[in-house]
Amino acid sequence: MRINTKILLSACACLLIISGCSNNKSQKNNGLIYWSSNNTEEIQFADSMVIEWNKTHSGSERINSQPVPEGQSSEEIILAAVVGKTTPDIYSNMWQGDVESYAEAGALVALDTLPGFLPFIYERCDSAVVKEITSLDGHIYQIPWKINPIMLLYNVNSINEIGLAHAPANYSEFYEASKRYTRDTNGDGYIDHWFGYSEVLVTWWQRFFDFYPLYLAASNGGSLVKGKSVEFNNKYAVEVFRFLRSLYAKNYFSKESFQGKQDAFLSTNIASRFTGPWEISHTEKFKPEGFKYDFSPIPVPDDHKGPVYTYGDPKNLVIFKTCTNAKLAWKFLQFMINKENDLKLLKITNQLPRRKNLEIEESYQPYFEKNPKMRAFARQAKYVKGTDASPVLKEVFDLISQEYEACVIFGKKTPEEAINDAAKSVSLLFNK
Amino acid sequence: MKSKKIIPYLLVSPYIIYFLVFVAFPVTFSVILTFHSWNIISPMEYIGLNNYKRLFNDAFFIKSLLNTLLFLAIHIPLQIIIALVIAELLNQNIKLRGFFRGAFFLPVIVSGVVVTILWQQLFGYDTGLLNRGLVSLGLNKIGWLVDPNWAMPSIAIMATWKNVGLYIILFLVGLQTVPPHYYEAAELEGATHFQKFIYITLPIINPTIFMVVVLSTIGGFSLFIEPYVMTGGGPLNSTLSVVLYIYKQGFFYYHMGYSATLGLFFACLILLVVVIQKRYVEKDK
Repeated sequence: MRINTKILLSACACLLIISGCSNNKSQKNNGLIYWSSNNTEEIQFADSMVIEWNKTHSGSERINSQPVPEGQSSEEIILAAVVGKTTPDIYSNMWQGDVESYAEAGALVALDTLPGFLPFIYERCDSAVVKEITSLDGHIYQIPWKINPIMLLYNVNSINEIGLAHAPANYSEFYEASKRYTRDTNGDGYIDHWFGYSEVLVTWWQRFFDFYPLYLAASNGGSLVKGKSVEFNNKYAVEVFRFLRSLYAKNYFSKESFQGKQDAFLSTNIASRFTGPWEISHTEKFKPEGFKYDFSPIPVPDDHKGPVYTYGDPKNLVIFKTCTNAKLAWKFLQFMINKENDLKLLKITNQLPRRKNLEIEESYQPYFEKNPKMRAFARQAKYVKGTDASPVLKEVFDLISQEYEACVIFGKKTPEEAINDAAKSVSLLFNK
Repeated sequence: MKSKKIIPYLLVSPYIIYFLVFVAFPVTFSVILTFHSWNIISPMEYIGLNNYKRLFNDAFFIKSLLNTLLFLAIHIPLQIIIALVIAELLNQNIKLRGFFRGAFFLPVIVSGVVVTILWQQLFGYDTGLLNRGLVSLGLNKIGWLVDPNWAMPSIAIMATWKNVGLYIILFLVGLQTVPPHYYEAAELEGATHFQKFIYITLPIINPTIFMVVVLSTIGGFSLFIEPYVMTGGGPLNSTLSVVLYIYKQGFFYYHMGYSATLGLFFACLILLVVVIQKRYVEKDK
């Protein structure tokens, strides 16, 4: 009898533990769950949006915000949530390149089926952006939310010292600037000042900071892939590989990783790098006395015509299929990304909303006057591209990155061979 | 009477539950996965032996296997020789012996990521301490982590530094089991220090050497943190280890079925190597 009591107690304990492992269903009765990014500024923005919304919505119309749970990356957390069917109703900060695989797996709500979505999206974005976010099945599963365009950050003093009036705008100017700046300052026979720098690691996403923006700039926003067709086997990709390969071959770029070391840009060991607006707050905080910097568009081939595109690093909004009230979620999202709240996003996070006429929007002008460095990014915002719709996009970037390393960093292949081999590998991947 | 029968089962149940949930289930599930294609978010698809066929034609897997073998070929002898020499020195009656024993063991307990970041700074091509030393001696710089020929040896050097303390302790234990009168008898016969080491010490600590070889083989086969943090598998895949490749297939490409196949094949390979090592040593006895 005594043992039976113990078994009963153990069973009760197990039940208690299991009940603690339930998902958010009980919370869902009090409204919808919205996961924001877990950086301080975005949490602050999400909280302010939810407080504002909940002033006029109660009960099941309430929105409950919480930062995406801590993990190695938010992508992993979202994946785990999709697998465990514990996704929130709404998620901001979804990398555009991930959307296609989730859409294919049926984890996302097709937003174009919601009332008023299409007029809203065409009012917010250019048709090119709408085309860019349209999935392979013709539906739209994401709302363009914010971007951080990649541009050329450069040291104004260094540019002046080498006798240039402005940052290099094309490949010839970039070579010339590199030739003038790159040198051995301590006389040990080894170069210690390079004009530029890009991380040499083969990791796929490193190509967002060298090959990909340069490719978009050269090709006027061309695609890497379209459906199951390889699009990057062209002269633009070859030119970009050749350009970067020359920079490494001539020692204008260092092959060393500067990760974990003092900021090579602030210490003037490098005069430029390809980066985004997040660099502003860091540079402002740590720059030495008299240090001047600015941003300019990504360099293009000498014969380039037309606007200069770049990678926008877009993060978008999605509604998961687990959402019990997609219409309500959509209403909240419309509220969250209206013109006024996009300005709030800009002010709180210093990240650009992805909307038309950002640079000339009158109500945004005080912000840009107060933050003049952000104006360059706002100007660039008209000419940014995200990623192509493909469920295997990371693998595509990885295969390009493998060839990038062989050709650009180590000169083992010609640009033509490397691009051709990357294209063959991607074709094989598509035809598996 | 009935309760007496249940109590032993209840007492072992925590371990049984742990074993079923964290060992038996994952292993069985992994074996099942090897016959499937699964990207976690879509349903599993049965593909028969395709993952196994792919494994034998996968140039990256073969490359990663060769890289791992190169790592083992450098790391194991280096580790055994250094550990044995230092253990022999620390077994002598020297000053600050306790301090040195602790100092050599320190890297073992330091986080692998911390150690790799530290060595990344030492191995830096333009600003690293090692190359600065070489340049000051009038020698050429070495591309420790950026030259495909040097990257894996550099990682082997670092891994040896990190792990050697553990093997020093194991060898010290082995050395202390050698009866002192053996040495005394050898000295009376006029044996040199080297002869004593070869003819007395080595045969007696042979089981320890075997244990060190087995442990460092298994440890070496599971090479992951160092290339993951320091080189990402580059340059030119020269530091892509098998475990890093398994990780990439599983948690980067989400090829769970193929990743499980690689893992299973690799586990069998390690088992085979250890069995061969064991047989060889037993035969030698």
